[in-house]
Amino acid sequence: MEVIYGLLPGVLLLGIVGIGIFFWAVRSGQYDDMDGAANRILMDDELIVDVKPKE
Amino acid sequence: MSNNCYHCGLLIESIGLFNASVNGIEQEFCCFGCVTVCQTIYDAGLQSFYNKAPEGRGLAPSHDVNEKFILYDSDELQLDYVEKHGDERKINLLIEGIHCAACVWLIERSVAKLSGILSAEVNLTTKRLLLHWNNEKVSLSLILRTLTQVGYLAVPFDADTAEEELAHRHLSLLYRMGMSGFAMMNLMWISIALYAGADQGGFRNWFQWVGLIIATPTLFYAGYPFLKNAVSGLRRGYLTMDLPIAIGTISTYIYSAYITIMNRIIGDVYFDTVVNLLFVILVGRYFESISRKRALSATSRLLELQPKLATVIVHGENEVMPVRSVIIGNKVLVKPGEKIPVDGIIVKGQGAVDESILTGESVPVIKVVDDRVVAGSINGEGAFIIIVERILKDTALARIVTLMEDAQSSKARIQSVADRIVPWFVLITLLLAMLTFVYWNHYSFEIALLSSTSVLIITCPCAFGLATPMSVAVASGVGASQGILVRQGSALETLSQATHVFFDKTGTLTYGKLRIVKIEAFGNFTVDVILIFAASVEQYSEHSVALALYQAAINKQLSLLPLSGFISSPGEGVKAMVDDKQVLIGTQAWLLKYEILASSELKYQVDNLEQKGISCVFIAIEGVLSGLLGLVDDLRPEVKAIITILREWNIDITVLSGDRKSVVTAVTANLGNINRLAEVSPKDKSNIIRQLQLKGEIVVMVGDGINDAPALIQADVGIALAYGTDVSIESADIVLSYNNLQQIAQARRLSDKTLYIIKQNIVLSVTYNVIMVPLAMMALVSPIVAAFTMPLSSLLVIGNSARIGRLFKR
Repeated sequence: MEVIYGLLPGVLLLGIVGIGIFFWAVRSGQYDDMDGAANRILMDDELIVDVKPKE
Repeated sequence: MSNNCYHCGLLIESIGLFNASVNGIEQEFCCFGCVTVCQTIYDAGLQSFYNKAPEGRGLAPSHDVNEKFILYDSDELQLDYVEKHGDERKINLLIEGIHCAACVWLIERSVAKLSGILSAEVNLTTKRLLLHWNNEKVSLSLILRTLTQVGYLAVPFDADTAEEELAHRHLSLLYRMGMSGFAMMNLMWISIALYAGADQGGFRNWFQWVGLIIATPTLFYAGYPFLKNAVSGLRRGYLTMDLPIAIGTISTYIYSAYITIMNRIIGDVYFDTVVNLLFVILVGRYFESISRKRALSATSRLLELQPKLATVIVHGENEVMPVRSVIIGNKVLVKPGEKIPVDGIIVKGQGAVDESILTGESVPVIKVVDDRVVAGSINGEGAFIIIVERILKDTALARIVTLMEDAQSSKARIQSVADRIVPWFVLITLLLAMLTFVYWNHYSFEIALLSSTSVLIITCPCAFGLATPMSVAVASGVGASQGILVRQGSALETLSQATHVFFDKTGTLTYGKLRIVKIEAFGNFTVDVILIFAASVEQYSEHSVALALYQAAINKQLSLLPLSGFISSPGEGVKAMVDDKQVLIGTQAWLLKYEILASSELKYQVDNLEQKGISCVFIAIEGVLSGLLGLVDDLRPEVKAIITILREWNIDITVLSGDRKSVVTAVTANLGNINRLAEVSPKDKSNIIRQLQLKGEIVVMVGDGINDAPALIQADVGIALAYGTDVSIESADIVLSYNNLQQIAQARRLSDKTLYIIKQNIVLSVTYNVIMVPLAMMALVSPIVAAFTMPLSSLLVIGNSARIGRLFKR
């Protein structure tokens, strides 16, 4: 059972990494538009021939 | 039905008039705007938009473009909106007309087709477009024009500080919620370990320390807002809802920390209680914040979409330019019904200015030459020219916007009652907790501490305090998504009790766009001369008669004469000097005041015309009756439906109009059994409403014009149409942004639901406290159970309020 002396801090560390990722996600604006992104993925993007390439 | 517009899906009124071939197939359209938009979409190869857009899509009819986009290219104007890095620029645009994900798709694709666009991202929630472009390759005006061509009106958006502040607070709440969520989940398994028997073994203290390590940052980071509010509330001598939360969590935390640090064998730790409590309350606050943010962004949209342009007189000509380009010392023309764009001194003309936004005084102040007018106030009647003294950033405008936001977030009636009760609620909670502690302390310190903590945690002023604002906030958000902008939360509570609805006729029941169908000249005057005089007088007025005259003169390519001394009596007529001649335009009754009489033969002719629904306006030049103008205004198609619905709900309906009785009767002839009051002056409109209110009726007024403003304020609920004059929007409680009267029925349903939910919420929270508090005082509830049930009651109220959101789904 002594393993928990190492296990608990390890798990907490993982959790802190999780918080870090969450904070990053919020900061990078991923929670700004909750409706748009969900719908955007359903919009098929048929290729149009005359789209000008980005320079 | 095939009679719907191919582009916007609205019912077509004049069938066959706007047919166009699209991709080889003949399609029907409702207006020329829709045809153009549709053709642009097909030309750009984006026709799959029509497969993506939902059925019965209700795309608002495309906008008539009269904004001068080229103005937006000037660096001076962009200064305030644009983030610049050399030629690469970023701007936030408010987009009018986004309804669904297909709109997002269309906007992004059509803009991306221009060269020089680095990125274009539409936020569907806030209905904004974040645009990143290279100014060398493409100009902002071209982008705006492209958007307009596919049917969306874009306005540069100046993210104001109040909203940024709110967004910032919202984000920090999200951080805190995430953090406490993490802590809660981790503490949960530590608690489970402890309950499962670890509190007996050798690892007991180790588990407790891990709990302490997790709970400490959570309490002081995630719980910081509660602790801060409690302390600052105490300093101001006010007991806030956060106080019991703060006392409860802190006392539980200190007790648990004491057990842990002293390594006591007896007693348990309750770190999980502390953290769960914080997490669940934060979740509630977060949901509330989302609703508030939605409601606020909807109302701030309303503000932002109002004109940002001023009519500046340059070398004797009127030039419309953005307020930001106006220079101190410029002369600015202010028309009736307009918001005054800058601070300045009147040099010519006069007007009745509503400065209520600054002074709170709702009676308009008469302003003459040499009087100061302030930006943000509204010119009710009369046109004048001002010399600009101070421009945008120096005026009180920034302050005015905050004032307006305050006014909009002003609390509903039941809500403020709750606010008054909360301090007492908290006080009683503290007393009960103390009582519990003192009583149980005779038996055991630990039971005393635990049971008093339970009382603190379990009494939930949150649920009670949330009952009304949560419902109103959710309802406002739901309303905004349906195009019903609620400016006054209390209106939502009142609307469902309405017993009488008044409709303005012109512009509300009808389109308000008059067409001139008849011009008659008497004496030596010709038809063209009459039209020139009439149009010249009305050139600065926003009234629908004025617009029709102005349009008719433009169509005939007549040039207008300068005028002076313009005075309008809303609903009656206007008076001005044109070409050194006194010109009066107005109703028969109004001209009588100037002792101008119509012959009996003429009266007979007028009666005939009015029976056909043609309104007649007279024009008198130099005190002599010289012309007759016949105008028609067509009824909106949805009027009949809404009147039927309202009658089914047993609501009385009255049409209030300043128009002649025969015209009112003719126009409303097939609306069935409704009351009609004709020839009512604006003052009488509000008087009539007041009298009904004295009889105990709850009155709703629906209007759009300057002359409806007093009635809109007087009525219990004022409803304005979004395309109406600024004055009427300012005066109304609810604004229908799609200009569709059917929305009144929706608003009423929303109101019914909101009131129902508020009552439910109050019953829920009171019942909860009546049951749980005695239990806690009897030490029958442990803090853990308390911590579970207390947020539960808040969540119940929040969840219950969220049910309003389902009203328009299905």
